[in-house]
Amino acid sequence: MSKPVIEIKNLEKVYEGAVPVHAVNGINLTITEGEFTALKGPSGCGKTTLLNLLGGLDQPTSGTIEIGGVDITTLSENELIDFRLRNIGFVFQAYNLIPVLSAKENVSFIMLLQDRPKEEREARAQQLLEAVGLKGKEGQRPVQLSGGQQQRVAVARALASKPQFVLADEPTANLDSTSTANLLDIMEKLNKKERMTFVFATHDDRVIKKARRIISIEDGKVLSDE
Amino acid sequence: MLKLAWRNIWRNKVRSTITIAAVMFCVIFAVVLRSFQVGVWEHMVDDIVANNFGYLQVHQKGFWEEQSLDLSMDQATLPSDQWREVDGVRSVVRRLESFSLVSMDQNNRGSLVLGIEPQHELPGLQLTDQIVSGNVFEPGSDQVVVSEGLAEFLKVVVGDSLLFLSQGYRGASAYGQFVVSGIAKISNPELNKQLVLMPLQTAQWMYNGMGLLTTAVIDLEPGVDHKEVKEALQPMMGEELELLEWEELFPELIQTIEADMAGGQIFITILYFIISFVLLGTVIMMVSEREREFGILVSIGMRKSKLAFVTVLENLILTLGGAIVGMTLVKPVQFYFKYNPIDLSGQMKEAIEQFDFEPKLYTTTSYIINLNHGAIVFIIGVLISSYAVWKIMKLEPVKSMRS
Repeated sequence: MSKPVIEIKNLEKVYEGAVPVHAVNGINLTITEGEFTALKGPSGCGKTTLLNLLGGLDQPTSGTIEIGGVDITTLSENELIDFRLRNIGFVFQAYNLIPVLSAKENVSFIMLLQDRPKEEREARAQQLLEAVGLKGKEGQRPVQLSGGQQQRVAVARALASKPQFVLADEPTANLDSTSTANLLDIMEKLNKKERMTFVFATHDDRVIKKARRIISIEDGKVLSDE
Repeated sequence: MLKLAWRNIWRNKVRSTITIAAVMFCVIFAVVLRSFQVGVWEHMVDDIVANNFGYLQVHQKGFWEEQSLDLSMDQATLPSDQWREVDGVRSVVRRLESFSLVSMDQNNRGSLVLGIEPQHELPGLQLTDQIVSGNVFEPGSDQVVVSEGLAEFLKVVVGDSLLFLSQGYRGASAYGQFVVSGIAKISNPELNKQLVLMPLQTAQWMYNGMGLLTTAVIDLEPGVDHKEVKEALQPMMGEELELLEWEELFPELIQTIEADMAGGQIFITILYFIISFVLLGTVIMMVSEREREFGILVSIGMRKSKLAFVTVLENLILTLGGAIVGMTLVKPVQFYFKYNPIDLSGQMKEAIEQFDFEPKLYTTTSYIINLNHGAIVFIIGVLISSYAVWKIMKLEPVKSMRS
């Protein structure tokens, strides 16, 4: 039996205003090691908010999020940043690579933040770029790469820190069908080969089809979990 | 981190170049402005002090304040040889100075009378280059040299006789008639209007003070720190003598310099304000353009303090780069105008002469000015960087990534 990576209990996120908005409304969820999970739902349903809460980028109004046994809602800002650095990989919709660094430097940068030795950084960045099919593109800067290639660099960067899981927010939203298929294949392979846990927030059917677990969200609540 | 900062600087080449150029020009303008101000004063102090009055003077205690011949020193008992042995002392120049009413026909003026030995004098009173007509007086003769301005006022020419009337040592009458052997142009405009030079022995005779001196000027080797020499000489002064440095002799000159410097500081402060806003504009633009990127970096695990360090580093490289280029490029300008001063003309010349200043603008080549202004601009850069630090420290990753 796989061990739980993320355990969410009674999670709520309310945005205060004239009319309070319950973006996440009492969600309970457990995600185990090696899952390939998609959070689906219409725009504004709360999936990105949930992803942000899982990634410690936002603070919940109430409830707990345990990652590897640590309740991240109790961590200080710096503890949370360090926790993200060592435990969570992120893939964003708009790639979000550092424009002044090459593909390889983007991947190794996160390991530099982890104070890993240069040799290890170089070797792992090279290995990851090869794994995402970017051998020969190591020295190119983001602007010299296509959208699909940039997103593959982003995946390699997300994995560079050897995280417990990767959160991907609409990773295929800006990609054409070929690039999407390519990226999903790579992520699926990494999931199977390295038992890397992936959690997607998406409404892209191509991603949903690949997912082995699909959690539907609506109005901040889990509608179904298949 | 340094690599990241360096590359960030050059992601917007135009903006970085403009920032470096703005800092550079600010440093150049500030240094040029200050160099002229300090240079003019340096030249004036050098002229007044090094060439005429000396950096250190010995008097009988109280003489400088009371300016009375009764507080004179006996030249025979002065330990001049002992003073000359102190490191940095070149010679000891003997003088008797007092005042006298000087007349020629219907014209008369209260004048400063200096009894000197030109062959042992400071450069400004050696009278080799200063004589514009006639000759230097003979030692012990009844001859005098009159400053050009005084000669014009009294309408005297070489060969005329001048009548002197004053009070001598211990209340004795002091008077005499002396022939003008020469007319000298004294570089200090104030002295040029009122100075009469005569042989030391002649002045001692006229003032009934044979063997007396009012002043012993300590002539220093070039480049010697007068304060160090003063420290060495002070124990030799005993109870009777006082050793004064030029700052004590001419406190009003120091006040004038300080007042002028304060005036110049206003212009420089305005310059600093301008450069502060240029730098602030750069930092605001940079932070605004990269807010999303900052959000990403914090999201993936970069501590805000590290991120702030990188952005501060970027700003410091820009300001330090501009400051170093500015400090370097301005150096030849400083050297040029030190040796080729700007001659003022017209109304400005007249206005400056009214204040007894030489109407020429010199620069100083002191490196301290360059370093000071470079450092000030650099510190401004550091302070302006605090805006970026503040924005980063209150950054919320989710909001920033949406920007």
